[in-house]
Amino acid sequence: MSFTVFVFGYYTVLLVASCIAAYFNKRAVFMLLFSLTLVSFILGIVGGVGALQTVAALAGLLALAGMISYGFREFLVYLAEGDVGAPLRGNNTLFLSVVGLFTVLAFASSAYGWGLTEIFVFLAVAMIILLPLSPDTAKELRTAPMTAAFGLFVIFTYLVMGVFASYIAPHGEAEVISSAFAPRGEDMLLGADQLGRDMFSRIIYGARNSVGLALVATVAAFILGASAGLLAATKGGWLDQLLGRIADVIMSIPSLIFALLMLSIFGPDISVIIVAVAIIYAPRVFRLTRSVAGNVVVMDYIEAAKLRGEGNWYLIRREILPNSTAPLIAEFGLEFCFVFLLVAGLSFLGLGIQPPTADWGSMVRENATLISFGDITPLIPAAAIALLTVSVNFVVDWMLHRSSGLKE
Amino acid sequence: MGDILGLIGRRLGLGLIILLVISVIIFFMVELLPGDIAQAVLGQGATEENLRALRKEMGLDQPAIVRYLEWLGGAVTLDFGNSIVTDERVTTLIGDRFMNTLFLASYAAVIAVPFAIILGVIVALLRNSIFDRVANVMTLTSISSPEFFLGYILILYFAVKWSMFPAISSLSEGMSFWALLERTFLPALTLVLVVTAHMMRMTRAAIINLLASPYIEMARLKGTPPWKVIVRHALPNAWAPIINVVALNLAYLITGVVLVEVVFVYPGIGQALVDAVSKRDFPVVQASCLIFAATFILLNLAADVGAILTNPRLRHPK
Amino acid sequence: MKSNKKEVLLEIHDLQIQGYSDEQWVDIIKGVDLTLHRGEVMGLIGESGAGKSTIGAAAMGYARDGTRISGGSIEFDGMELSTATEAEKRSLRGARIAYVAQSAAASFNPAHKIIDQHTEAPLHYRLQKRTEAQEDAMVLYEKLRLPNPDEIGFRYPHQVSGGQLQRAMTAMAMSCRPDLIIFDEPTTALDVTTQIEVLAAIRDIVDEYNTAAIYITHDLAVVAQMADTIKVLLKGNEVEEAPTEQMLKSPKEDYTKSLWAVRSFKREQKARPKDSVPLISVKNIDASYTGGEKVLDDVSFDVYEGMTVAVVGESGSGKSTTARCITGLLPPSKGEIQFKGEALPPDYRNRSKDQLRQAQMIYQMADTALNPKVKIHEIIGRPAQFYQGLHGGDLKSRVDELLDLIELEPAQYYNRYPPELSGGQKQRIGIARALAANPTFIICDEVTSALDQLVAEGILKLLDRLQRELNLAYMFITHDLATVRAIADEVVVMQYGKVVEQGPKEDMFTPPHHPYTDLLLSSVPEMDPNWLTTLLEERGVDNVGDAASTKIDPNDEKVQS
Repeated sequence: MSFTVFVFGYYTVLLVASCIAAYFNKRAVFMLLFSLTLVSFILGIVGGVGALQTVAALAGLLALAGMISYGFREFLVYLAEGDVGAPLRGNNTLFLSVVGLFTVLAFASSAYGWGLTEIFVFLAVAMIILLPLSPDTAKELRTAPMTAAFGLFVIFTYLVMGVFASYIAPHGEAEVISSAFAPRGEDMLLGADQLGRDMFSRIIYGARNSVGLALVATVAAFILGASAGLLAATKGGWLDQLLGRIADVIMSIPSLIFALLMLSIFGPDISVIIVAVAIIYAPRVFRLTRSVAGNVVVMDYIEAAKLRGEGNWYLIRREILPNSTAPLIAEFGLEFCFVFLLVAGLSFLGLGIQPPTADWGSMVRENATLISFGDITPLIPAAAIALLTVSVNFVVDWMLHRSSGLKE
Repeated sequence: MGDILGLIGRRLGLGLIILLVISVIIFFMVELLPGDIAQAVLGQGATEENLRALRKEMGLDQPAIVRYLEWLGGAVTLDFGNSIVTDERVTTLIGDRFMNTLFLASYAAVIAVPFAIILGVIVALLRNSIFDRVANVMTLTSISSPEFFLGYILILYFAVKWSMFPAISSLSEGMSFWALLERTFLPALTLVLVVTAHMMRMTRAAIINLLASPYIEMARLKGTPPWKVIVRHALPNAWAPIINVVALNLAYLITGVVLVEVVFVYPGIGQALVDAVSKRDFPVVQASCLIFAATFILLNLAADVGAILTNPRLRHPK
Repeated sequence: MKSNKKEVLLEIHDLQIQGYSDEQWVDIIKGVDLTLHRGEVMGLIGESGAGKSTIGAAAMGYARDGTRISGGSIEFDGMELSTATEAEKRSLRGARIAYVAQSAAASFNPAHKIIDQHTEAPLHYRLQKRTEAQEDAMVLYEKLRLPNPDEIGFRYPHQVSGGQLQRAMTAMAMSCRPDLIIFDEPTTALDVTTQIEVLAAIRDIVDEYNTAAIYITHDLAVVAQMADTIKVLLKGNEVEEAPTEQMLKSPKEDYTKSLWAVRSFKREQKARPKDSVPLISVKNIDASYTGGEKVLDDVSFDVYEGMTVAVVGESGSGKSTTARCITGLLPPSKGEIQFKGEALPPDYRNRSKDQLRQAQMIYQMADTALNPKVKIHEIIGRPAQFYQGLHGGDLKSRVDELLDLIELEPAQYYNRYPPELSGGQKQRIGIARALAANPTFIICDEVTSALDQLVAEGILKLLDRLQRELNLAYMFITHDLATVRAIADEVVVMQYGKVVEQGPKEDMFTPPHHPYTDLLLSSVPEMDPNWLTTLLEERGVDNVGDAASTKIDPNDEKVQS
């Protein structure tokens, strides 16, 4: 009975919505809704009510994601219009000292056990996030697609999750609280893993460990690659040639293979992973920086500055960097995705962060056997990885589209 | 034509040099090991005597450069020495597995390449339509998902819930070709999903880039019908970017295959490499790395040569 | 120049076109009317942003990506294009309306031979068989005076020079003998001597087949040669329209008059100061880019204090390379640069701060010459800070003083970024940056060629005033002889990296000339509508353009033209 009601309701909603869309001349929306109706006919016949319920659930999920994204975008626009970043932007020294202060406090807190580490880290990060919020950004944000807004929201959520992991997680990272593979219950939202640790808590901690490692590795690769690229572009000549050839060689070894080679020799250790990733991805960053900066270096204003007698440091800092930030930030996002996937792959192969530290890639592998019983638990950490990568990619996609200035 | 042959020759030479440099890196990186291979094999508790014996047996008492040349000489004749762990010949250990990997990669490529290029061109022509936007979100999602995520989802549905294909791709002697295709369908599909997304996006970008050229506008203003604009004016100039896209993604297949092989327990070279890495079986690691790198370089080389051959400016010099 | 005033071919009424920018549609053409008769050539002129090119495309019923035709009617020979289907419009293009683009090199498909692209339209419309179409192409090539007409079509676009390619494109437009051809700035990218050949070829062929044409350009003198009637546009609006003769003699609107008046700026010629050392002396320099051929061959000239030396030549003549040698960006392989009689180190990196300060540079493209991410006060203030060590209040008052000098209100520009300024304002900022170093010598590299004429005039006047007030010496690199006439004291003519001729301006503009100077001088279009006709009669068609310039050797004797 209730199934019949559901099916009738399902088609009624779709048809009414398509009619409304058609009446208001929203062609794209109408096409989408009506084709969904047609597809549903087939799905309903083949898959029965279950298939329709899945479609409805997915649509509901999509709508939810859309609403969250919309809300978050409006929230950011509101903040940006209020120009909350202005006091920080005007004064570089002030900004750096405030961020520096919070960082020092965070370190001190973790060393002396004040228990405020998370708060200070969050404050430092918040300063950096607030910095670009200006009325100009508000204009950009207002035209941001939903996907980008969704991406920003997810990144923000992961950030909070990672920083405040110890407050959010109901159990300790390596705390054994039940039998192996215990089912979900009141106490354990997602059940237990192969050693009886709380899956949900480990996923929360994983946000800190997996993302943190990838972030540090990306920053290392970026610093190495970007400084080499800027140097090559400004100095030119043999240095440029030499760095370019080195990059060529490193890039002709597939990244995962190179990482495996280094890990087999130096052992699976976090510092080895960071160094390996930095060496593997620096050439990619180098190439991009070299070409972005290369486009700037041929400009007449660089020639004018050179003829004035300015040094290389001034050229890089005042003339080249301000004109390369947009593509470099987008590249950072892109590199982060690659690095994150690589590190996750390594953990999945058992060569990443070592137990008992919670890490998404290894959690997939440790619980993989559950798949054959139709249990989706091992997919959850994998989905967590995918969700973050997708989100970063959404944001990067928007930024690239915007900075290319193409109205295609 | 002399120009073109020269260019290709130079490119081939460069590829060879890079391969040589990589062989140096692969070989000498092991030398950076704290202690040496003998130490790594026997562990911390080994006696000085045992170590010396093993060093002698493995030829470690010779200078590194001599050992490198011997190793390189062996590699050229496909002889990579013996495994430290099982003492088998590395070539027999990974030879068949390499063929299996090639089979899986080609299986995926045969499906993915035409599919992705056609879809990429369609999406480029329909750019900014709702279809394009949906495709954009879908390809981005597919690119962003780790291979093991896609692999396990496929296993969950196709193998566990619907029991259509086997979850584990074990191969046996004398399997029929169709059985083989069925066994390896899921790993191949996983690779197809990832590679198609990459290739579609790149093809789309290349075509859109091309359609913005003034000569395309000129063709339109000459009254050329749209299909002819694509076939006659865009396509001849699109070969170079498309060849590039294909080669890049085939190269990507070669590495993506490692994770997929592990997920589906497929007897390929990727699995062998991962096993060897955790067992620190250096001869196997070195051999597999060299093979992967060589394939990678070869594909990039093919792309560059293809781009040179299809460039009208180079084909018809002044 | 007969125009057949009987039958109307194209009638545009109240045309409105919008462009998409910053997420909204903005009007770019605001109601333009246009009537073109069969066989008539109409010149559309206007400065950048006037919308001439957009109207040209709209005459074919075509809206470029990011634009849309939002109102009005376009009637071509009885057919309404604004409501026609895509297929109907397509059947006109190439067959009855053809298009000639500005950049021939980019508009030919690199993958096909020229003749295959030529025959595409006639084959598509089944007007001719392939061999017929090819023979016809050769006839057209011959008429357009392309060298080796039987063979040139079988080359690929990149194997043919720019001027030839432009004529091949005109031939391609002619392939179906259309009723109307749109010429969109077809000679703007060409050198003056090459331009002449192309102009002559286009005019003859349009005349011969009695084709109607819309000729779009920003160059008044060029349009005077080509058009029967001229329509002047300003920011998407029509200013006025009149037959060419009448338009040149007695323009009605103030804007048109101001366009005509541009070339009136003249300045007294100064003589070299007696018994003094030249400020900059270029002594027998040779130069080449790494591994390449010699681009400069034994170049020598002097620039005296407070004087303007114009260096004239076409692209590839080595005039910009000379500037690079003087500034030290490209150390010469032979010879030296002297400053007040003392040799400067060849590489700028070895020059002292004071030596660098003395010689400044102003660039052609103000867009690339100013860092878009740096505020105006910092752009101008940096040299003052760098060389004179000014800080705080001193620096601010110096920047204000400089902004005053270039006639910009300091308070208004102090905190702005270059992209917010107009082309002329940017160029002024570029000048201010050069002045901030307190130089004695400034190299002006084509400083006015990217600007609209009125704005360019303002810049020239400013430079002249600054020269008088600050006793500056200029080296003025240009290909535009009108600018030379206006501002130079001495002229150096360069060809193929050699100095062909040099001397005071008056001498250079009166015969006898070196044959190249003669060719250059005679190639500059004049406002007289009969100029091209007269010139071709005097010199003969084979004695203009590339054909003539390749015959000339830099060491030739002077001729009495």
